[in-house]
Amino acid sequence: MPTIEIDDKVIEVKAGSTIIEAADSMGIPIPRFCYHKKLSVAANCRMCLVQVEKMGKPLPACATPVTDGMKVFTRSQFAVKAQKSVMEFLLINHPLDCPICDQGGECELQDIAVGYGASGSRYTEEKRVVLNKNIGPLISTDMTRCIQCTRCVRFLKEVGGMMELGMVGRGEHAEITAYVDKSVDSELSGNIIDLCPVGALTSKPFRYSARTWELIRRHSIAPHDGLGSPIEMHVKGNTVMRVLPREDEAINECWISDRDRYSYEALNSADRLTTPMIKDNGVWVETDWQSALEFAATRLNDIARNNPQDIGVLVSPNSTMEEAYLAKKLAQGLGCGNVDHRLRQSDFRLDSKHIGTVWMGCNISDVQSMERVLVIGSNLRNEHPLLTHRLRKAVKAGAELSLLNPIDDDPLMPVAHKTICAPDAMVNALAQILKAMSVMPRYAGHLSPAVSNLIDKVKVQSGPQSSAQAIAESLSGSSASVDLVAPRAAVLLGNIAVHHPRYAEIYSLGEAIAELCGASFGVLSEAANSVGADFAQVLPNADAMNARTMLESPRKGYLLVNVEPELDCHNAHLAAKAMAEAECVVALTVFKSEALRDADVLLPIAPFSETSGTFMNMEGRVQTFSAAVKPLGECRPAWKVLRVLGNVLNIPGFDFDSSEQVSREIFGGEDPSQLASNRLNNHLYDSGVRDAARVNDETPNILQRIGEISLYQADALVRRAAPLQKTKYAVPLAAYMHHAQLAQLGFQAGGAVTVSQGNGSVSLMAQIDDHVPIGCIRIAAALKETAALGDMFGPLEIKAVEIKAA
Amino acid sequence: MFNRIKDVLRSLMLVELLKGMMLTGRYLFARKITVQYPEERTPQSGRFRGLHALRLYPNGEERCIACKLCEAVCPALAITIESEQRDDGTRRTTRYDIDLTKCIFCGFCEESCPVDSIVETRVLDYHGEKRGDLLYTKPMLLEMGRKYETQIATDRTADAKFR
Repeated sequence: MPTIEIDDKVIEVKAGSTIIEAADSMGIPIPRFCYHKKLSVAANCRMCLVQVEKMGKPLPACATPVTDGMKVFTRSQFAVKAQKSVMEFLLINHPLDCPICDQGGECELQDIAVGYGASGSRYTEEKRVVLNKNIGPLISTDMTRCIQCTRCVRFLKEVGGMMELGMVGRGEHAEITAYVDKSVDSELSGNIIDLCPVGALTSKPFRYSARTWELIRRHSIAPHDGLGSPIEMHVKGNTVMRVLPREDEAINECWISDRDRYSYEALNSADRLTTPMIKDNGVWVETDWQSALEFAATRLNDIARNNPQDIGVLVSPNSTMEEAYLAKKLAQGLGCGNVDHRLRQSDFRLDSKHIGTVWMGCNISDVQSMERVLVIGSNLRNEHPLLTHRLRKAVKAGAELSLLNPIDDDPLMPVAHKTICAPDAMVNALAQILKAMSVMPRYAGHLSPAVSNLIDKVKVQSGPQSSAQAIAESLSGSSASVDLVAPRAAVLLGNIAVHHPRYAEIYSLGEAIAELCGASFGVLSEAANSVGADFAQVLPNADAMNARTMLESPRKGYLLVNVEPELDCHNAHLAAKAMAEAECVVALTVFKSEALRDADVLLPIAPFSETSGTFMNMEGRVQTFSAAVKPLGECRPAWKVLRVLGNVLNIPGFDFDSSEQVSREIFGGEDPSQLASNRLNNHLYDSGVRDAARVNDETPNILQRIGEISLYQADALVRRAAPLQKTKYAVPLAAYMHHAQLAQLGFQAGGAVTVSQGNGSVSLMAQIDDHVPIGCIRIAAALKETAALGDMFGPLEIKAVEIKAA
Repeated sequence: MFNRIKDVLRSLMLVELLKGMMLTGRYLFARKITVQYPEERTPQSGRFRGLHALRLYPNGEERCIACKLCEAVCPALAITIESEQRDDGTRRTTRYDIDLTKCIFCGFCEESCPVDSIVETRVLDYHGEKRGDLLYTKPMLLEMGRKYETQIATDRTADAKFR
């Protein structure tokens, strides 16, 4: 390891590191604009010039690797003169509009200008002007302020995966621009706002609304996906003004997805429910908490007294552990075991087969060092925007990524092997992979009887399915030298796999594949607290009903905790029907929602920003957060509402004074992370499902729906975040199908079609999307426009709308 | 001993009293300079720091750009500003309140203003009849700016070389 000297301090650094890395580790400040620790080195701002002994010219610290015995001076007259000259050049064309610039007060250029800038300018000529670009609804631009550091360009290329911004022109004419008439659509685009060292890129929804020094920073956890990114909510008065990432190398590094960044816009939307409401003869009447709670308790109690099993409790997987736990406890107090948080799951055959709590099987930070990864059923960028970046890192470092998906959306990284097939062919495709693997000599002796039985039944298909062989080879690493002791491989199930009607088979086959090749196996959990709710046992009792059966055979009463039934459940039609038929629906909800039209009492609860609680993310990390602002209007944290509801119902054990007391009860006073590491386990008790797996089901010659949840429809908050709904991800609703499928059905692109599933049907426009396999039609779920349809994956009928002759 | 005798003689001859009466007598016959306020006023410095005003440009456009520096610098926390993007894309205040019961008339707001928008005028005789009258809002401050623009402009021009 080379030893160098910076400003007379000696340090030993890793060979190949740069001067700026060494200086940063010693806490010696070197001014910089273009350098960022997470991005490649560009060395084009020249602000980090330092003096190096025996060098005639100053050198950029960010691009100069250290050599043994190097002597660096960052504050010598020579270095400071160089830095000041660079600063003067940078300020020549930078406008002096700090008073109207949103970056004012948190601007790197402003800060460094205080240290290195002159008090006046010697430049009297005209400054250059660069026209602003419209790059979408999230980021506003003031390109005249740009100092061409290219951090945004490098971020979108290296982290975002697509080069959506670039620099055109030279010298005076150099400017950052997007493609002609294109916006920046990356699902991580908001990070370039944080990266921009000047005010060239600022947040559009936040524009001109507050100054950085007025904002109080409160820590929280992002509630939209299983990652649980730590965030910082910037609060003014009692309003969340914006959300920025906090840094945690193990979770989000220093980025957050746009979903986490802009969902705050929904927190004060007009849709917020602020007073309890009771439906009186079909008319909503505002009321006070006392009467609303008594009304809810009486109705629930009446049903429970007859038959407790007539009540169903549905909990949003985005609820905190405390809320979910209390909902479960409340149900048990009523004598009812019908509790579930797995609203979008449809196959529950694995219930009671799990040894522990299902999780992602490895740590989030391990993903980037994987060498071979198989992702089953996941539209990665849609479901896990930031985790996809970790995978992208792995692929960049040489990992082989294999995909088994019903849709061929580009994950913006090279995919080594992929099988794109209709949803009902996925099980067979997995079995093919397992079979291909089992014939490899290395694994020959390791097959359990259940697996060999199953494999015997698999008919090997040729043709497009032969990618199974390639995936099997890739996973077992037959082509490369493999570490057999600790193979860095993973098999990961995405949301599509979890929502799949044959999840049990996909899961057990995935597990078998992972076991065979020694890969880690896990599920990328969909919601912020899916793992946590599982952990807190917010699951149906042994003989009770799960989220699907609760709707299939409608209950008399429902308790909904932060659920919009037809948008959050697997089968929208069933959910709406069950709610309509129920005698009493008690809904704890953040928003007034059309989906809650059949509720009988609405209890306003606080969203994540207004309550304290705990989330357990997909790697089992327990993260507790407190409220950033006070609850709006009459809203109350859901754990308090459930606690008081428990009191009104006279259920013992509901004497909590704080959410900490609830979480202490959940963890039994033990260390949460210790307990989590004991309980997280993806193995199954037996391989019953594997035995019974119908691996050779012929693809029935009927059309199937692929009902994915689009990025900005995942939960109640993002659905109401106006800026997110204006992005390109808010894809117009249509029945998307392969062009050959369209021709086969005899439709015109853009023509109106009627899609029906079960009893419901909706009119949509037929559109071409060649990412959808033949035999499938992609119709987004979790939308009120498609709420009349049924299962997210399942057969459907489609016909052209006849145009009546005039 | 000597001093003691001197003191006794002084008090017997009422020297102190006469001295005082002399002063009174001098003022009795001197020229009277009572200012008949409010009809008459003493001269004011151009730098007088009285009631605030928000200035406008000659074309009627308000100067304030909602940079919030005055709000930040105000030692008495008397200024409250809320801002937004106006329809024409410019940065503007939606609320600009000065609580004159808090204000200490230090003039920092005026000094911090990059566009000479918030100024302290020479107006010193204003009052409020009930609680809340001294909370000056944006329309009131703009009205002050309209009314006294000529004088404000003259004062700033005269003082320009010292600023």
